[in-house]
Amino acid sequence: MTPIDVRIDRLGKQYRLGVRRNAGSFWALKEVTFDVPRGTSVGVIGRNGAGKSTLLKVLAGITAPTSGSVTIDGRLAALIEVGSGFHPELTGRENVFLSASILGMRRDEIAAKLPTIVEFAGVERFIDTPVKWYSSGMYVRLGFSIAAHLEPDVLLVDEVLAVGDAEFQVKCLTRIRDLKRQGITTIFISHDLTAVEQLCDTAVLLDKGEVMMIGEPAHVVSEYHRRMTTAATETAEFASIAREGALKITGLTFGGDPSGLQALSARTGDPLVVSVRYAAARQLDPVVFEITYYSSDGKTTIATARTDQGGGVRVLPPGGIIEFVCDPFLLKRGAYYVGVVVREAVTRHVIDWWDGGTNLFVEAGTEVNGQFYMPHTWRVTHAGETTPSRPRVIPNAE
Amino acid sequence: MSIVSPTPGLRTRPVTRFEPPSLRNIRPLRELARLTQFFDLLKTLSIHRVKVRYKRSRLGILWALLHPLSMMLVFALMFSFIRGAPAQEVPYAVFAYAGLLLWSAFSSGLSSAATALTSHAALVTKVAFPREILPVTYVVAALTDLAIASTALVGMMFWFHVPLTILTLWSVVAVALLALFLVAAGLIVSAVQVRHRDVGLAMPVVLQMWMFATPVLYPLSAARRGLPAALYGLYIANPMAGIVDAFRRSVVLHQHPDSAALAVSALGILVLLPASYIYFKHAERTMADVV
Repeated sequence: MTPIDVRIDRLGKQYRLGVRRNAGSFWALKEVTFDVPRGTSVGVIGRNGAGKSTLLKVLAGITAPTSGSVTIDGRLAALIEVGSGFHPELTGRENVFLSASILGMRRDEIAAKLPTIVEFAGVERFIDTPVKWYSSGMYVRLGFSIAAHLEPDVLLVDEVLAVGDAEFQVKCLTRIRDLKRQGITTIFISHDLTAVEQLCDTAVLLDKGEVMMIGEPAHVVSEYHRRMTTAATETAEFASIAREGALKITGLTFGGDPSGLQALSARTGDPLVVSVRYAAARQLDPVVFEITYYSSDGKTTIATARTDQGGGVRVLPPGGIIEFVCDPFLLKRGAYYVGVVVREAVTRHVIDWWDGGTNLFVEAGTEVNGQFYMPHTWRVTHAGETTPSRPRVIPNAE
Repeated sequence: MSIVSPTPGLRTRPVTRFEPPSLRNIRPLRELARLTQFFDLLKTLSIHRVKVRYKRSRLGILWALLHPLSMMLVFALMFSFIRGAPAQEVPYAVFAYAGLLLWSAFSSGLSSAATALTSHAALVTKVAFPREILPVTYVVAALTDLAIASTALVGMMFWFHVPLTILTLWSVVAVALLALFLVAAGLIVSAVQVRHRDVGLAMPVVLQMWMFATPVLYPLSAARRGLPAALYGLYIANPMAGIVDAFRRSVVLHQHPDSAALAVSALGILVLLPASYIYFKHAERTMADVV
């Protein structure tokens, strides 16, 4: 039987909401239970505030649980915000020693690994320069490199795959695969669902501090998307705050059927109609409607669409619908956070906005190996004779 | 946290168990065993602390000397004008400096250790390591300053023809007790500071009053003469009283330390040290949540 390296048993973590005794509290983790057998990798997914970071902190021993227990068999290393142990005044070399010793390595071990660490990070020329002169990329690469060469028995990884340039990310993934091959147990805490599907044997879905599902990564990721969209339907009508009262956004729907229940999903490469419903108290002319697609964590703007051609649009009481026709819809598979803003076209003054936690889940239609689908046509030139292709996606049908 | 089986070598697998914090599941000896693995970190951080403190200052390491020296000058001048310096067999400057030397090590060590955890909040919330290392590095830095500043004492003793005798060896005991007391007090104040920032704010006032309650500028014998017996018992319960007195008597006055005061100091510190460590390890488990 495979030994269990990490055993999480009815784990609970309670936080106080303030310093006062009567400030109230909430459970960031509730009765979390799962095992990680030796040599396997588990991905923990969940939206912001699901308890992922708290789980990581408890596993890493940064903070103690409030109830339940965690048992870890083996030496554990945690990659939480790489480079957090760095001191800006010290050189790269001094920081390697400092940071690695904080992570529990002995001086002679570090000295032996120093050349490998420095080479992996690609900072050979700057190793005797204070890290305050480092670019942020160099900083992060050195931090990851130290942790990746600790040779722990159990490795905790938190979002590190989101750092560095593409070339370095490939290096990181290769290194993590190597570590897996050596039989190291890994736990990933990630927003990057693709990485979880690629690297993990099992995935755990956390929501509001509780384990919702444990299983095959592909199944768990689908369940995650399903939950994201369900949550969106529940909240889709709530959060329009009228500033002036002259115009109010009352709904945001996808799929071209603004009256019925919204389909909160789309497919890459297929047409999509995004409808914004609004109520107007008086005539406004001209205004601009602006839709923004954010990454699922709300941190990065992925794309925007706005009605600013021709100086904006005129709205009349009592209200109506603005339809944005995206044909084809280009965003790749994944979950997005969608917001709407209405502005006065001339002053750019915001009249109303929609920030209701609306999520759009884009299903894999046309396969995309990159950030978004690029509509294209192609032609073959053979012996001086050109054959035009059929456009793969038919451009706007009008 | 408790370590069920400690790690004797590198490739054995330690088993670690995290449970809800309780005074009952603290294993101080196992924690100390784990601490030995982090000796390199303690060394690296302490060296770093000493280096960084005087970086970018013109006078650099001289500041370690200037602090007790300037205080000594202030008090020596004051007493030379108002004629009230306690009569001693050595010049008052030497007498006062010997006391201020230990006192400024204590006061700078304790006030910097108090903020050791709060000023490293990023580290405390992101990396798991024995957090007692942080206050202890400030103690090491304060003792380094003490070593540097003691060269001025040797110089003054040479200048005023005060010889060193075999009794000077008592100073090793005094400094060792000072180090242990600083560690114990540093552990307590740094851990309390995480939850109540009042500690850092109260520190300057407390240290000032504490100095006058310690035989730094006057001899211990003056306190014994001037205080009622019950109050004197309370007076020597302050571990710094026995430490400062023992150091000064043995080094510059060529006398044996006051055995009662030194014994009370030593006993107090021996009780305080394990208690402060257990308290710190208990507070450590949730300090990342509040720091």
